[in-house]
Amino acid sequence: MRLFASGLRKLGRRLATWVTFGLLAGLLVLILIAVGATSDRAGANTAQRAAALGLITFPGAYDSILSFILGLGGLFGVVYGAAIAGSEWTWGTLKNAVARGESRARYVLLSFASIAVVIALGLLFAFVTGVAAALVAAGLANVPTSGLNDAATLGRLPGHLLKGWLAITEEAALGFAIATLARSQLAGIGAGIAFYFGETFAGIFLPDVVKYLPFNVATASVATSGSSSGGGFGGGGAQIAALDPSTALILVVAWLVGALAVAAAFTERAEITG
Amino acid sequence: MTGTNGLALATRGLQKRYGSRVALAGLDLSVPNGVVYGFLGPNGAGKTTTMRLLTGLIHADTGSIDVLGRPFGRGDRHRLFDVGALIESPAFYPFLSGRQNLVELAANGAPVPRGRVDDLLELTGLREREKDKVAGYSLGMKQRLGIAAALLNDPRLLLLDEPSNGLDPAGIVAMRDTLRNLADAGKTVFVSSHLLGEVQQMVDVIGIISAGRLVREGPIEDLLSGGGVVRVRVERNDVERSIGVLAGITGPDGATASTAEPGWISVRTTADRIGEVNRVLAGAGIWATGLESGNDLEQLFLELTGGQPPVGGEGTFFGVAGAEAGAARTDRGIGA
Repeated sequence: MRLFASGLRKLGRRLATWVTFGLLAGLLVLILIAVGATSDRAGANTAQRAAALGLITFPGAYDSILSFILGLGGLFGVVYGAAIAGSEWTWGTLKNAVARGESRARYVLLSFASIAVVIALGLLFAFVTGVAAALVAAGLANVPTSGLNDAATLGRLPGHLLKGWLAITEEAALGFAIATLARSQLAGIGAGIAFYFGETFAGIFLPDVVKYLPFNVATASVATSGSSSGGGFGGGGAQIAALDPSTALILVVAWLVGALAVAAAFTERAEITG
Repeated sequence: MTGTNGLALATRGLQKRYGSRVALAGLDLSVPNGVVYGFLGPNGAGKTTTMRLLTGLIHADTGSIDVLGRPFGRGDRHRLFDVGALIESPAFYPFLSGRQNLVELAANGAPVPRGRVDDLLELTGLREREKDKVAGYSLGMKQRLGIAAALLNDPRLLLLDEPSNGLDPAGIVAMRDTLRNLADAGKTVFVSSHLLGEVQQMVDVIGIISAGRLVREGPIEDLLSGGGVVRVRVERNDVERSIGVLAGITGPDGATASTAEPGWISVRTTADRIGEVNRVLAGAGIWATGLESGNDLEQLFLELTGGQPPVGGEGTFFGVAGAEAGAARTDRGIGA
């Protein structure tokens, strides 16, 4: 518990945490406010205007906001996980813990547990900020907000948020494992980003294989009914026939556990020489 | 509280290779309880590899380690609860303050008593800067924080790798006093250093390692009292001339200037000729301001590690002795 609480305190004081989730929420606010402020611009046809206003019209706005967060959040999750794990090697702070007799595997797993908690908080923060921004944007565009209290949508939200959290956590675990294997913050972030986009491009040539890979299953697991590729921000490969959400969810858990097992086993056996 | 056979730390036949490079070739260390042990060796001799092995950061290919009287191998991490270590350069989270780093480090391993962090910040003189981010600390301040981190769990065995790196003179004296006090309180301090003068003042026992093997180990008084060397101090601008004069009684390679202690010359001769050394110098109009018999740690170190400097006290960075060193310098065109 001491180690877990310590992990949370460290993440809370870390600029990377605030930048990651601040950027996610900031981009969301920027887009939604821009939509609200420019909805009556000259030259836009009715279809374009309807599509734009759909982003800030409740209850559909809930799904739009969540979709944006889960799409871009995957990339942010990879980078964040890689940054945290890689820094332990780059700064040599893992060495301190091991030399104090701390269990390597416990250190890795509890460090990640604190990352998972921070992701949950960050996700909630970004979502709440997004909803607030959508309300402001709706006001700017004179769109009614009566759908805000739509019971059916609100009832589904916790489940969607939970699945979204699991998906982003799995993607963060991938970045975490990659940076651990690379034993470097910079190399871990670079490799994580390359892996993220590489999976999208690989989907063009090997769609039947790529649909089982971590970023695609994360995207598929949060897909809402009627959408084939969920969030659709990278990693998902819009042209890939996605797995059904329940199968994808099982694979998300498998990739999450696998990534953490690899990170823990590698750290347990690694020679710490930096 | 004492370890097996009175040893706080023991290694037997410790071997470690990195690929084809042999870092340790059967290291046998015996560190008694309650002493300051100086672990010396040239660059690349295997000191840091030994430190890493002793803290479980890496694992030996063969051989055994006993820490505080009990075997230490994979799975024995709890043994480190009684050990404090500063390995290589101090490592901290740059975005946290000095205090926060200690608090978070204390969350690992053995529980740390309440108030311990405050005591250590006081001891290491970091109280005034405890709230500053470590990113803004100087090397010396990081080193102080590293020493504080090593002392967090009030260890029975303290392993310090070059602890005086970056410390100012006052910091070095304070560190020396702290380490001596710890040893006087029954704790064991194992310290590697390149500062031979510093080590000579601080340690009770030394171990000298070269090419991955222990070449000499024992109480420093015993090692330095072994005859064969007279040390004489003259004015600094008389050093070169003194060496020339002393060659008359010792031969051409018999006198060398100390690089660690300017003005001191080590003369290879027996202790009973100390008066003759003084007389020869006086005859040449050079007045000795200090005379003592016994080995010089620097001299002993250079002899044992194969880094014996040629006449004139000119050292070598190439780790080769005598004629080889001369050849190396000639080959590089920096000899003449």
